[in-house]
Amino acid sequence: MGLRTQNLALPGGAGALIQNLIHERTGMFFDNGKCDLLLDKLSPLVIERGFASYLDYYYLLKYDSAAQAEWQNVMNALSVQETYFWREIDQVRALVQTLLPQWHARNSGSTLRIWSAACATGEEPLTIAMALNEAGWFQRASIEIVASDASSKAIERATNGVYKQRAFRNLAAPLRDRYFVPEGSAWRVNSEIHSRIKWSVANLMEEDQIAKLAAADFIFCRNVFIYFSESAISRVVRSFSRFIKPPGYLFVGAAESLLRLTSDFNLTEVDDAFVYVKRERTVSVTEN
Amino acid sequence: MSRESTHTQPEVGVFTTDAHLVIQVWDATLARLTGIGEESAVGRALTAVVPDLERRGLLKRFQRSLNEGVVEVLATAFHHYLILCPPVNASKHFDQMQQRVTIAPLRDEDKIQGLIVAIEDVTERLDRERELAARLAQGDESARLNAAETLSADVSYDATSLLGALSDDSWQVRRAAVKGVSQRAAPEAIAALLNSVVENHHNPALLNSALQVLASSEVDTLSPLLELLKDSDADLRMQAALALGEQGNTRAVGALIEALSDEDSNVRYHAIEALGKLKATNAVDALATIAESRDFFLAFAALDALAKIGEPSIAPRMVPLLEDELLREPAINLLGQLGDETAVAPLTTLLNTPTAPTDAIANALATLSDRYEEQYGEGAHIADLASREISPTGAQNLLDALESPGKEDLRSIALVLGWLKGQSVDRALTRLMGQVDLRNEIIDALVRHGAATVDLLIAQLTAEDLEVRRSAAVALGRIGDPKATPPLTNALSDESLSIDAANALGQIGDPRAVDGLLNLIGNSDTSVRQAAVSALNSLALPAMSKRIIPLLHDSDPNVRESAVKIAGYFGYPDAAGSLVDLSSDPNERVRCAAIEHLPFVEDDRAIDVLARAIKEETPTVRAAAARALGNMDAPQADRHLIEALADDDVWVRYFSARALGRRRSEDSVAALGRVIEQEKFNHVRIAALDSLGQIGGGRVAGIAAGLVRDDDPNVAHAAQAVLGKSGQRD
Repeated sequence: MGLRTQNLALPGGAGALIQNLIHERTGMFFDNGKCDLLLDKLSPLVIERGFASYLDYYYLLKYDSAAQAEWQNVMNALSVQETYFWREIDQVRALVQTLLPQWHARNSGSTLRIWSAACATGEEPLTIAMALNEAGWFQRASIEIVASDASSKAIERATNGVYKQRAFRNLAAPLRDRYFVPEGSAWRVNSEIHSRIKWSVANLMEEDQIAKLAAADFIFCRNVFIYFSESAISRVVRSFSRFIKPPGYLFVGAAESLLRLTSDFNLTEVDDAFVYVKRERTVSVTEN
Repeated sequence: MSRESTHTQPEVGVFTTDAHLVIQVWDATLARLTGIGEESAVGRALTAVVPDLERRGLLKRFQRSLNEGVVEVLATAFHHYLILCPPVNASKHFDQMQQRVTIAPLRDEDKIQGLIVAIEDVTERLDRERELAARLAQGDESARLNAAETLSADVSYDATSLLGALSDDSWQVRRAAVKGVSQRAAPEAIAALLNSVVENHHNPALLNSALQVLASSEVDTLSPLLELLKDSDADLRMQAALALGEQGNTRAVGALIEALSDEDSNVRYHAIEALGKLKATNAVDALATIAESRDFFLAFAALDALAKIGEPSIAPRMVPLLEDELLREPAINLLGQLGDETAVAPLTTLLNTPTAPTDAIANALATLSDRYEEQYGEGAHIADLASREISPTGAQNLLDALESPGKEDLRSIALVLGWLKGQSVDRALTRLMGQVDLRNEIIDALVRHGAATVDLLIAQLTAEDLEVRRSAAVALGRIGDPKATPPLTNALSDESLSIDAANALGQIGDPRAVDGLLNLIGNSDTSVRQAAVSALNSLALPAMSKRIIPLLHDSDPNVRESAVKIAGYFGYPDAAGSLVDLSSDPNERVRCAAIEHLPFVEDDRAIDVLARAIKEETPTVRAAAARALGNMDAPQADRHLIEALADDDVWVRYFSARALGRRRSEDSVAALGRVIEQEKFNHVRIAALDSLGQIGGGRVAGIAAGLVRDDDPNVAHAAQAVLGKSGQRD
């Protein structure tokens, strides 16, 4: 039984229709055991629309020409924004200490682009920016950090740059004090590091929304595929592969493996961190 | 090189029959294809419209679909047509239209009400198929490859012409042909591939591709495979056993049971697996004997096969295997899947030992309980038996397993722990309440434990984790102990918890919650207001009208809206005039609420107010008026709703279409039919179809029949539902 669904009608089959539609448009997969959770998260939106049935809301999302704005509300309702600074830092370290110097040796005159593809409320791209700053990279190279999330609410909070104590559970106090100033019971990121990042809203399942962002040298897409189906992950990784700049480095979360899902990237280990590198294609013809 | 584009989509005509094969619907496409008009077909027996039906042996196919609920397909290659008529366009090769016929049962829930028959004109496709076959036989390599790929890619083409291409000089043509043949498996192809197996079985690539074809074949390949099962070569016998398992033909069971005595253990292994796949009940004794032999290589496979076969009578024989260190886990799983209540005691006895495989046993007990619940509604019986048998050691094993289990076993452990009582168990369960995927089981368990858990749950209302607080509120609501009213009332001020707390207070029904809930009816969050209104409606206190009616004139529109919803829900006679007045409130939400609740208060002005609103108001209020008119008794409501089917706003049209169905308005059938034909938004068409299904009547099935193959599956599904309902009424 769901927690909040009891006041809304759920005609037979409507739950599955919503599940499938959400999967198709967002990549997020709520299996049968989690359908209650999905309906629970959507119920405020259904009520806000004045509907008494989930089926009416499904039709709104599926057919109404004005549904685009509503999809943003769905993204906001479903997105998971629980993250923190300095999370899974080994990969960021591998970027700063090994991969970036290699890149710089080959492309010293170019601008390096890093994309944080599911940045939630901004902790990941700010972590990258702090780590780069600590190593003095902003003085040595032209670096652009772009960050996006499917939830406009999350990006709004990222743009605001104010974080509660929970976001600092893995960040050493000296770093916190260097980059943040207290604001009531929370902390505001300093404007210099904050302004290093360009924020935008983008749905990973919509290739036209991510094409420009994915034209990056390094893509961080961590802790989002755990909510996606395998088919959705494959689709998103195919898009990454199409647009990423060679040699093309992709970082995913520690609990996420792409090995069964893509042949476009090879898994390698750099400084104790796993990173996927775009596979170089050679054309060969065989006859049997 | 690209393949040729496939032919144009064949036209499909549809007719339906009742359970006596009397034609009910004959659609316009079918009338055009066959030249037989609707008036000449509907109401007549199928055997009158198709006089040679019985002589050609086709009647039994229709009867089989009707009696057994199976889908029958009349293949064009054998039957050529159902209804004799010339092709729509002149054909190079055929004098008669070539038809592919699909016969499917029309169901209403479990009962078959008649048949739906789709007739596909495939004449043009067959013409093209013949041309491609000629090119495949005589063209240059490029033409042959193009023909092979075109034939291969579209399974609606017959595969016979691809058989010759299996020995084409070009490897590319051969590859395309193998792909095409393997997707269809015509009898000639099977024979050719079986020969390949016999002659070339030491070529693993060929053997595997042949077996793939055999596995996907619908043709009976039993005899040649049974021959292979007796071959002198053990490798070939093993492959035959494997293929027989994949084939799914239960006539192979006898031979496979004999193969359990084969001298080669690999053959025995594959025979065991095959018998499992075939769900061979006859084999359970032999398989149980193999399991009892405790031969490590074969016993695992035998237990797995027994689990797949699912014959419960074998479960008691497997109990002694619980003593075997190596085999006890598959034996535990088997008892979970097949055992009855007698399996509980041996499983819990093992659980009560210090080195018990706790995860597997919890999983088996949970599986057993889930199965009893699903089959007999008696999951609680297993829970009762287990809770009596599990000792303190068993309970501690479960508590310990919570600390380091694999994620998939947590549900089972939580479920089994929930059968036990005691403070340590309840404390462990409340610790897990924050895990969304376990929430339902844990709440169920705590609710069952009732009053004993109330204090523990109240303490969790202030837990740091929001999901724990929410689960505690839900559980307290379901337990219904008024002791929880004050803390839940306090929780109403926790922004993230207020909805769940309000729902819980509604369930408890304690009048002390009224003031707290009334404080929320002006909340800026619609969901919170809705939860407070629902809770207050659930309390149903006699003196409530005195508190609510003054709030209808509150300065805050959110309060007025909520007050309208409560007054309308109870239909307070004293509030009728105010609801009419509030239908002109400056705030749109208040107007919507007033309009929607007018049908539930006695006031003669209501119908006029709604008639005006559905024409003159904002789109949102017009949609609310449409919903309200669906609930009015006044006959003139139909007219207003029919007019609103042409509203500029899609949601007004949608709710008007739905409201007409709710009113069972027979006068609206033609208008709803026009909506289905002309409306550009499919949800409005679906609403119209649903309503036609509710209204019923002769014309309705005819309108729906043309849509059962609509490109949008939602529309097609709605049309099928209408036909199902109309068949049931007839």
